[in-house]
Amino acid sequence: MSEIPSAVVVERLSKSFGHGDLAVHAVRDVDLRVVGGEVVLIMGPSGSGKTTLLLMLGAMLRPTSGSVVIDGIDLATAPERELPTLRARHLGFVFQDFNLLSALSARENVELACNLGGTTGSKARDRADHLLERVGLAHRTEFRPDQLSGGEKQRVAIARALANNPSVLLADEPTANLDSSHGREIGRLLRQLAEEDGRSVIMVSHDERLREVADRTLWLEDGLLREILGLATDPVCGMSVERDTSLHLQSEGEEWWFCSDACRADFALNPDRYASAGRSG
Amino acid sequence: MNGRVPLARKNLFQDRRRASLAVTGVAASLVLVLVLEGIFAGAMQQVSAYMRGSPADVFVAQEGVRTMHMTQSALPPSAVDAVASVEGVAWAEGLRYTNSIVDSGRGQRITYVLGYDVATGRGGPRRLAAGRPPGRGDALVDEAVAEELDIELDDTVTIMGTDFRVSGTSVDGTNIVNTTVYVRTEDFERLRGDNVAYVLVGAEPGVEPDRLARRIQTAVTGTTAQTRGEFARQEASVVRDMVADVMLIMTVIGFLTALAVIGLTLFTATLGKLREYGIVKALGAPPGRLAATVVGQAAWSVALGLLVAVAAAASLGAAIGALTPNVVVLIQPSAVLRTGTGAVIVGALGALLPLRRVLRADPATAFRRAS
Repeated sequence: MSEIPSAVVVERLSKSFGHGDLAVHAVRDVDLRVVGGEVVLIMGPSGSGKTTLLLMLGAMLRPTSGSVVIDGIDLATAPERELPTLRARHLGFVFQDFNLLSALSARENVELACNLGGTTGSKARDRADHLLERVGLAHRTEFRPDQLSGGEKQRVAIARALANNPSVLLADEPTANLDSSHGREIGRLLRQLAEEDGRSVIMVSHDERLREVADRTLWLEDGLLREILGLATDPVCGMSVERDTSLHLQSEGEEWWFCSDACRADFALNPDRYASAGRSG
Repeated sequence: MNGRVPLARKNLFQDRRRASLAVTGVAASLVLVLVLEGIFAGAMQQVSAYMRGSPADVFVAQEGVRTMHMTQSALPPSAVDAVASVEGVAWAEGLRYTNSIVDSGRGQRITYVLGYDVATGRGGPRRLAAGRPPGRGDALVDEAVAEELDIELDDTVTIMGTDFRVSGTSVDGTNIVNTTVYVRTEDFERLRGDNVAYVLVGAEPGVEPDRLARRIQTAVTGTTAQTRGEFARQEASVVRDMVADVMLIMTVIGFLTALAVIGLTLFTATLGKLREYGIVKALGAPPGRLAATVVGQAAWSVALGLLVAVAAAASLGAAIGALTPNVVVLIQPSAVLRTGTGAVIVGALGALLPLRRVLRADPATAFRRAS
């Protein structure tokens, strides 16, 4: 992969809020390279800095230090007035809540994004129709968000993210509001878009199903990012935890992993109750 | 919209009930302004209708007198001949005039009483609505007052303390302030003496009325001569001066109401969509695009409000005119333009606060869970 030029190059990226003893280091010295066509999944517990990282990758938050280079442009040092155009033309966003504009039809939602990238009129309309067809919604172009199912809304959101043919898609919990069937469909669609268009896809999610479509899964915790090989689900709270570094416990021949001492203690008191809720590993 | 998605219009009309309320609210406040201006314009037109309908090119009055309303003018009968002898005068005719009350026994009205030469008809009404010109002991009353005071042809009315028989009705003589009654010169002289109030002057062909007016004023001492247009303007200005303050206050109230409606509507509409504005910002909308959306909503509210207001004011004016013939509501294009300009300013002011909120919308809200 090192021979393929990286679409996203993140170097020593840090973000701190506050100063001195009160400073919170949300993201610390993160390095990340994502090549075209690659799907990267970033997981981690709540409060680990995932959203902060995503905001910096999306040119919506200035880093304290480091750089975010997308298509050769360093978003960290780009002038403030150029950031909207950079977001519109170089990045596509997919959100957990879909975030479609409720007053607009599916076509208009995509068309608006085209407008923001500088495409207007019939070209924007044609582009919107083409993208909606591509995500399987050619028959829903005139429908407003409240007339669409969750899966359909997310497809419209993906079509919108593609409006200006960005080299990078940033997806924030893209399957969180979907049932498992629709969640898998969306995962596969993102994978397909990466493969067919050579687009980089960076997803932030708690959804382990997305590991199936990801080329790499990274773990972000306490602001630090690292590659992981194995994840398990805490049987008490349901949180994804990294096997290599988490607390664990052997019980009746099976091994269990936990996010905290409290969860491990709860499990130890009544293993049958939690073991029936989920299998280890 | 330059081929762009009309987000402003779509946002505004997404909630049709709220949009209707906004447009209706703006329209209601603008109707107030338009109808008041219409009543004002109508009153000014009515009050000077006699002058504008007169065949006289120049009106000559006692020195310093420039109107009929709120004044008295007295010239000796010889003034008519003196004016007639001025070069460029084709004809000169004395007009008798006083203020009085017309009493039908069923009601009263303040009135101008004009004594005119029935033979020439020059000082008389522009047109008769019914009946015939007055004979001795006869009077013409205005059709609007005839209806208001329940006066029929051949009824007796009291004017200047004397009974007159109504021989006919005239037009354009009643306004919000008073009405006009016409009698023969002889009857007027019998009751008020032979002084004339005004001398009506016709200019010879090719003679400029304003030049003739100056010439008469110079030649006949103790007079003030004005062209018909100037005399009408002066008369209208009396009404304007009387009601200008009230008009201003009501207009300001109207615009402030419109401002409150537009401001409140836009503000609530904006607050309800603040998250969506944040999303649009996240997608790459520059501040100008967001501002255009808010301003566009204000423009739609104002434009539709103004359209509805003009239609409503015209209908209301017609209804007022039908119910109260003394009141004419004149919706002039200039008033619509003025009100429209005011509404645009009000719309712009109303958009300021929501604009501030929208421009400060955080694009990061797109990554937060919707509540």
